[in-house]
Amino acid sequence: TELRLSHQWSTSDVRHKVAQMVADEVAAADVDLEIKIFPSGSLFKAREQYNPLTRGQLDMTVFPLSYAGGQQPAYNLTLMPGLVKNHDHAARMNTSPFMEAIEAIQAEDDVMTLVHGYLAGGFAGVDKCITAPEDVEGLQTRAAGKAFEQMLAGAGASIASMASSEIYNAMQTGVLQAANTSSSSFVSYRIFEQVSCYTPAGDYALWFMYQPLLMNKSTFEDLTPEQQEALTAAAAKAEAFYLEEAKKEDADSVKVFEENGVEIDQMTEAEFNAWRAIAKETSYKNFVEEVPDGQKLLDMALAVE
Amino acid sequence: MSGSVSTRIARTGDNRFLKFVAAVSTLAGWVSAAMILAAVLITCEMIFVRFVLNHSTIWQTETVIYLVISSTLIGLPYVQRLRGHVNVDLFPMSLKGRARLWLALLTLGVTIAVVAVMFWYGYEYWRFSWDRNWKSDTVWGARLWIPLFALPVGFGLLLLQLSADLVALILKIEKPYGLEES
Amino acid sequence: MDPLVLGLAVAVVTVLVLFSGISVAVGLLTVAAGFLIVFDGMRSLELMPEIFFAKLNDFALLAIPMFILMGASIASTRAGADLYEALERWLTRVPGGLVISNLGACALFSAMSGSSPATCAAIGKMGIPEMRKRGYPDGVAAGSIAAGGTLGILIPPSVTMIVYGIATETSIGRLFLAGVLPGMLLVGLFMLWSLYSTWRSGDGSILSTRRYSWRERLEIMPRVLPFLLIILGVLYAMYGGVATPSETAAVGALLCLVVAIIIYRLMEPSRLWVVLRDSTKESVMILFIIAAAGVFSYMLSSLFITQSIAGWIGGLDVNRWVLMAAINVFLLIAGFFLPPVAVILMAAPILMPILTTAGFDPIWFAVVLTINMEIGLISPPVGLNLYVINGIAPDIPLKTILVGSLPYVACMVVAIILLCMFPDIATWLPDAVMGPEI
Ligand code: NA
Ligand code: NA
Repeated sequence: TELRLSHQWSTSDVRHKVAQMVADEVAAADVDLEIKIFPSGSLFKAREQYNPLTRGQLDMTVFPLSYAGGQQPAYNLTLMPGLVKNHDHAARMNTSPFMEAIEAIQAEDDVMTLVHGYLAGGFAGVDKCITAPEDVEGLQTRAAGKAFEQMLAGAGASIASMASSEIYNAMQTGVLQAANTSSSSFVSYRIFEQVSCYTPAGDYALWFMYQPLLMNKSTFEDLTPEQQEALTAAAAKAEAFYLEEAKKEDADSVKVFEENGVEIDQMTEAEFNAWRAIAKETSYKNFVEEVPDGQKLLDMALAVE
Repeated sequence: MSGSVSTRIARTGDNRFLKFVAAVSTLAGWVSAAMILAAVLITCEMIFVRFVLNHSTIWQTETVIYLVISSTLIGLPYVQRLRGHVNVDLFPMSLKGRARLWLALLTLGVTIAVVAVMFWYGYEYWRFSWDRNWKSDTVWGARLWIPLFALPVGFGLLLLQLSADLVALILKIEKPYGLEES
Repeated sequence: MDPLVLGLAVAVVTVLVLFSGISVAVGLLTVAAGFLIVFDGMRSLELMPEIFFAKLNDFALLAIPMFILMGASIASTRAGADLYEALERWLTRVPGGLVISNLGACALFSAMSGSSPATCAAIGKMGIPEMRKRGYPDGVAAGSIAAGGTLGILIPPSVTMIVYGIATETSIGRLFLAGVLPGMLLVGLFMLWSLYSTWRSGDGSILSTRRYSWRERLEIMPRVLPFLLIILGVLYAMYGGVATPSETAAVGALLCLVVAIIIYRLMEPSRLWVVLRDSTKESVMILFIIAAAGVFSYMLSSLFITQSIAGWIGGLDVNRWVLMAAINVFLLIAGFFLPPVAVILMAAPILMPILTTAGFDPIWFAVVLTINMEIGLISPPVGLNLYVINGIAPDIPLKTILVGSLPYVACMVVAIILLCMFPDIATWLPDAVMGPEI
């Protein structure tokens, strides 16, 4: 049997390595199962992967779940400011009743998670450090995700929407003064050449994005028990790898920015709480208004210790 | 060669169906052009809001994208009427008489079939977005059934214009590929 | 089936389908649908409208209708004639002032228009009759404008560069800059050939220009100044931090429309409609092809053809310049039959990995690719510009236009060779303005 896996990242990205690991492990298990990977959006564009997945026309994808937040608004909780505090907390999220609720929603779309994983990110400013809410006031800012745009707008920033690949040019030409994206994007798009200060995901990080390896549920159920077992075993191994790599990416990004002479400024607990207070009034509030059962889901997420 | 620069227009003769379809396609062309103009104005407004007022821009980018997509789809029948869709007519030109007519009927038939497929599954895709109330995953959260509606409308109107072209070809109001017999 | 064999089958079928005279966009959809049904099953048809829509769902594409509208609104006025007249009055002592001015006007107009036929039409409408009146050979008059018009997609803004930027995820601002110097190089080569061939045709006296008084020179300036200001304004917006290239396109389109209405009194609704109609016609045609080519390349990728061809070529142990020559021949042939945007969309995913492995710069390659596409625009059977000229000057036989254009094709080949020898011609300016590539 051949399964098709699509994702938007380059082959050097950790998310590709996770997919590759699953493919390799499954191949090694010798259960007549081959996973063909289509990297770099070569089959479907980043945001166009969810629909084919739900219809079984794509078998697997590594996918930021919040991209499908327009179809399943509950997914927006997987990219919500201040919900996840650090990577170990993220790992506990993955096994919580909150994630079970999310997986129940996925099941409605005939989708299941094989490999859980969160990646973190931070802020960077062209002229100054972005650690507290008042730092973004009046700045043209790019945020990764709708909930972050709402929070930043609540702090007085002007929001400019663009892909992370456009941040470099926008900063260079002066269209943009601050940006929020993942640690790996900060490095791979060489944002350190354009900014004076970097606030990485440290002890207090706001930005965690859930980017699991998903699979079409019916396709999985149609596999033989041996094939399913091989997949599950491969997924468990990949999940441990994913967590370690995610931690490493944050540390690596700090190193790269430091080497390039960019100031590193950590977010303090007080600043984190100030952001979260704004988020409660903006992104959390909007979420609860928009999603039936929103409060219940939010409480479940907040209950994870 | 029916390049973008020829000034040929689908002939209607005295046929009332053909005249009706021509009117519908022309109306679609006006809508398409108006959408491009609207996209120009909205983009300029967006630059002003961002660069001069230094405010957030929330709805403009998406609106402009959807306008351009809709303009393209809804413009399809009009451009078909203006014979603006580029083709390679080297081989048809080398054919004569009935052979050329049969080839024209064949290509038009295939075109109608493919456009019908796009129309039908475009309609289903649109219905899906309507039933499930899909939105874009942005702060603005556009209701996706609105831009997706351009899929069935655009391909549907194109289908109409193509059937008119088929009628005109069969009734000999229009020459195969619009080529003069030499 | 082996993906490479499958790829060959797709190529053969595509050529057959396109040669049937079906429109290019529908032809690509037809081939895609056929192969998807056979190898991915009936259900994959469901995906076609979704992919079609997704390919158009890109903000950068906005620039295409905008830059076309920009060109069409000026093309509807006397601006083209004003441009070359102004140039001629100022180039008093230059031999062959008129053809030089026309080519210069093509280059200037290219800086306002993203497409090639619009450039051709705008300058040619007045320029060709004027050149023939003054005794220039028909071949030079028609050929120079046909070739000069192709600069529309090399000198920024450019529709094809936008499509290339989207397909390969390279900076559109950088691509635009890369076209500037090669554009000037080409204009220079075109000018040299035009002068030589006019002189050779016997009557050298054609080349001497009339003397113009300072008064005549100054009085034409107010009519071209707005356009020079628009070019500068667009450049400032694009590289001065005001807006992205796509957004700038809208400003340029609005400004050109306003100038056409106010300065050239384009107020009658019927004349305004002609501008809108022509630009709608061209952009819908191009965007339809872009979306259809997107569905086509989905099919190629889904059947693993793209990846296999890239892997196969990548595995060949050939000299990188032999590879480049082969790629150029392939692009030339594709360009003869297909509009530039279709070639770029289908070839980019296959060629990009090969090029980067072989150490070629994607920005530099964009320029080489564009010049290849320019050749296609003035060669049969789908030479859009030839037919524009044929529409403007119907009494010049198509054959004369064609033969007249051939030497300009040779100029383009020379330009490609020069670019291969001195890649800096393309990459120096973007590096100087935007810093080294990341
Ligand atoms: Na241009
Ligand atoms: Na050609």
